[in-house]
Amino acid sequence: MPATTSTIILDNGASTIKAGVLGVHNEQPQVITNAVVRAKGDNATYIGHEVAKCRDFTSLRYRLPFEKGLLVDWDAQKAIWDGLFSNEALAVNTAESSLLITEPYFNLPNVQDIYDQFVFEEYEFRSYFRCTPASLIPYGHLLAKPNLPAPECMLVIDSGFSFTHVVPILGGTVVWEAVKRMDVGGKLLTNHLKETVSYRQWNMMEETHIMNEVKETCCFVSEDFSKDLETCRCVSQTLNPIVQEYIFPDYSANRPGRIRTPGESLGESYQTLTMNNERFTVPEILFRLDQAGLSATVAASIALLPEDLQGMFWANIGLIGGNTAMPGFRNRLMSELRSLAPIDCEVAVYASDEPILEAYRSAVAFAARPEFPQSVVTREEYQEMGSSACRRKFRDWKPVEKEGARGREPAKGKGARGRAEEDDESPPPATKKSARGRGRGRGVAKRQS
Amino acid sequence: MPPARRQPVRQAQNSNGPLDPDVIAKRTKRHLDELERSNYSEPTGSGAHAGASGEPDEEDEGVAPGGRTTKGRARQATISDKRQWDGKKPRKSTMNIRTAILYKKNLSVLLDESGIEQMPPGVPTYLRAVAPPAREPPRLICSVCGYWGKYKCRRCAMPYCDMNCEGVHNETRCERRVI
Repeated sequence: MPATTSTIILDNGASTIKAGVLGVHNEQPQVITNAVVRAKGDNATYIGHEVAKCRDFTSLRYRLPFEKGLLVDWDAQKAIWDGLFSNEALAVNTAESSLLITEPYFNLPNVQDIYDQFVFEEYEFRSYFRCTPASLIPYGHLLAKPNLPAPECMLVIDSGFSFTHVVPILGGTVVWEAVKRMDVGGKLLTNHLKETVSYRQWNMMEETHIMNEVKETCCFVSEDFSKDLETCRCVSQTLNPIVQEYIFPDYSANRPGRIRTPGESLGESYQTLTMNNERFTVPEILFRLDQAGLSATVAASIALLPEDLQGMFWANIGLIGGNTAMPGFRNRLMSELRSLAPIDCEVAVYASDEPILEAYRSAVAFAARPEFPQSVVTREEYQEMGSSACRRKFRDWKPVEKEGARGREPAKGKGARGRAEEDDESPPPATKKSARGRGRGRGVAKRQS
Repeated sequence: MPPARRQPVRQAQNSNGPLDPDVIAKRTKRHLDELERSNYSEPTGSGAHAGASGEPDEEDEGVAPGGRTTKGRARQATISDKRQWDGKKPRKSTMNIRTAILYKKNLSVLLDESGIEQMPPGVPTYLRAVAPPAREPPRLICSVCGYWGKYKCRRCAMPYCDMNCEGVHNETRCERRVI
């Protein structure tokens, strides 16, 4: 049966959803905003994929399903997913499909239950698999070297909208004890830029969308912070190659925002924003903060790993997530890590050309593997056992600590994942959860006891 | 150093001397939390204002765009029910789904109910995965122009770089005391 069903891949990020159907959107997923947006211009509400139809991005109000990296607003999320699965976007029949969806790192157990409920009770998927984005990277090409299997040890840095996570993966399994989180993501950077610019030049506090575009166009990670800071003091443009002028978009004239080419003359209707040291002092937050900066966080994470393998992690660092697309990110990280790593260690950082799509493409590779159908939880299993079926089978972080701590080989070249092994593990959770019946009750409230 | 040139009069205005590092840490933390807000549009400023303008904004996040007209807490107006999409047959959702949609829980409630705090020590969780504190002291950057902030405001301890920026800071941003 699974062979005839289509598989939907949903990389459900806090900022954008990357979604597609296996075999149809293998390279290029649909990328839609994961938000319900109200535009001031036409006073209309745009849900998820409809944001692409929005023409006037001034003073958008966002309603985001995610708060601090966790899914909290299910009303908004359902509206966006409904639209996504409808004929307007993916046009899929969920009841005849299988789903691979990503979830946040350390997703809360009570929230995981709601994921399960939505997938099986609302959308009635035939089967589904839920995991974190980084755990898919071993299946992708980010760290793969020609003619060699993916490295046994790798460290994925996922710098997304809400947070930046450092995720070590050993033999295809995330080492959760060593996963570290920095509370800095793209959302914070955009808000910080917004605030800085509003203080120094124009009041842009209402213009999250525009400032996000400014950030994506102008910001870079400095490779020599002190030098760049001095450069920005120079008034003349010839001595200061960093300063830029960003021309604000004019939605009434259907003119997008862009960087002014030096010497270009502009009409009176153009308004510009001078981006000087703002270009790199904003992303700098990722590297210097009250919390340890990114490089120190990487070092802290690696220090928690088995000593004899640490060198392998230093040599296999992969970057995913939107922030890593900023120019200079990789080089800066590389040079800082070099000074933190033991001298005899090789340090290598692999960046993706399209870091936002990296997890999606890895998910495609995983879903296409022969063992994928055995990794999923089916609707029947859910109907029989409720969410405990998912807790039993999914290998990422979950509340039952005995299972979570155990390293599990995710069938790297193993063909079928050992079903026997899985069954060995099942008795404790199964007996424990059987009292809960089909997970129909208030799963959320009951988890406490 | 320039600050030394100041008249001693200021001592009378601020008897408490320089700000406690804890207070500054708290302020930084609050600022970072503000930057996490979805439609962050107004810094809450000093402690006195935080309660007044910070709270309503929290509520704001719950505003369903196009949904609610009044300021009431009517949760009935769900956006997911309002829109019908082509190709999706209307169906009756189960209790679990209705509960999740109608009773939005904020993050702290979810964290409370998740029970991850009670997990045995050593089990990594959302709360325990935070990166360790920085080893280096924070970099001092002028809060006005972004250059190195060699000096600190005596009232609010925000860094600035020269007399010019100090003037701007005092006129516009100086928060005086923060609790």
